[in-house]
Amino acid sequence: MTTTGEGHDADDARDAHDLDGTRGHHAAPPSAIERRVAAIESLLVEKGLITSDAVDAVVAAYEHDIGPLNGARVVARAWVDDDYRRRLLADGTAAIGELGYGGAEGEHLVVVENTPEVHNLVVCTLCSCYPWPVLGLPPRWYKSFAYRARAVREPRAVMAEFGTTVPDDVEVRVWDSSAEVRYLVLPLRPPGTAGMGEAELAGLVTRDHMIGVVR
Amino acid sequence: MDGIHDMGGMHGFGPVAPEPDEPVFHAPWEGRTFGMMLVTGAVGLRSGSLRPRIEALPPAVYLASSYYERWAAAVEASLVDEGTLAVDEIEARAATSGAEPTRSEGTSPELVAAIPRFLDSPQPTSGVPVASAFAVGDRVTVRRMAPEGHHRCPRYVRGATGTVTHIAGGWPHPGDDTPEAVCTVRFTMSDLWGADAEPGDLHVDLWERYLA
Repeated sequence: MTTTGEGHDADDARDAHDLDGTRGHHAAPPSAIERRVAAIESLLVEKGLITSDAVDAVVAAYEHDIGPLNGARVVARAWVDDDYRRRLLADGTAAIGELGYGGAEGEHLVVVENTPEVHNLVVCTLCSCYPWPVLGLPPRWYKSFAYRARAVREPRAVMAEFGTTVPDDVEVRVWDSSAEVRYLVLPLRPPGTAGMGEAELAGLVTRDHMIGVVR
Repeated sequence: MDGIHDMGGMHGFGPVAPEPDEPVFHAPWEGRTFGMMLVTGAVGLRSGSLRPRIEALPPAVYLASSYYERWAAAVEASLVDEGTLAVDEIEARAATSGAEPTRSEGTSPELVAAIPRFLDSPQPTSGVPVASAFAVGDRVTVRRMAPEGHHRCPRYVRGATGTVTHIAGGWPHPGDDTPEAVCTVRFTMSDLWGADAEPGDLHVDLWERYLA
């Protein structure tokens, strides 16, 4: 799939613009938003209110340390350890904390379990609430107007755009994270993985499984 | 407020378009915006939630702005509201600025050390036990309302009747100090979208003030 020209969203429009070459990444003059954000940071730094290394540390945390691998390790542990799975479903925040994960936007985590009878899908229609400590920052499509508008009304049609077909006899449950809870989907363990260890299993789990657009 | 941000159920936005091998930030300014959001909040240079400020963008601006453009506008507004920066100085500086911000000579080792603890370490579960007017299994109807202040009740569930499946806990409603019960309510898709809706159901977390 491609982003160019498909979604009706400013993020997609920016990409189309970039690929047209009308706003190159570095060669062209800085855009209005680049200049405005740089102006704000420069003023804060020059007034001695913040230091650059603190902003660097936040960027680095999400670029390098906090991402879907955290959630994948939680899922793999639940697949191999049934007691852990029960704790995870009973108190997601505490069980995820056992593996060392938690923090901003993960203060109250609820894990919803896919079963042969049930498939779960997570969205935030009002903004883009997302469980940062286990999935990192959300992808553009999760924040897109299209996903926010449609996941609650036609989840099966949205999942089909990810190549996912949920059988008709499986109940689809959508979770709109509108308040303080952040949701994580515990996917089904794939068949044929009985001999795999935890690390290998974690390698099978993607961000999209844990949002629910992939089953 | 009932703004353009309340998008659940709307038509016309086209397909969902995943991007293969997507980077965390698509340009350096996105990361700087995100980082400044957290750092300025942590050191008290701005106050309050960004959400009301994002929702307060004029609808046409909201729709024409990318995700991090909306955040940048909200971070700027909150810094200005707190008196940390003035719009005039930001505009004057932006008129002559390049894409690269000034690098500080100083460092903040304590703050830098605190960031992983805040973002990437187990925390106590939020939400406190509170008495709720509703119990698991109760049938509840979302009130009809048109609130002007910041709230978290999507329009698409108003007037619909569902079943309480969990009491998630108690948190202050936006603008309040006292924890109030948040109920997870399950709706049948056809009760939200009509007889030709996709089968299935949908859960929304609703402060009990929204329910009757």
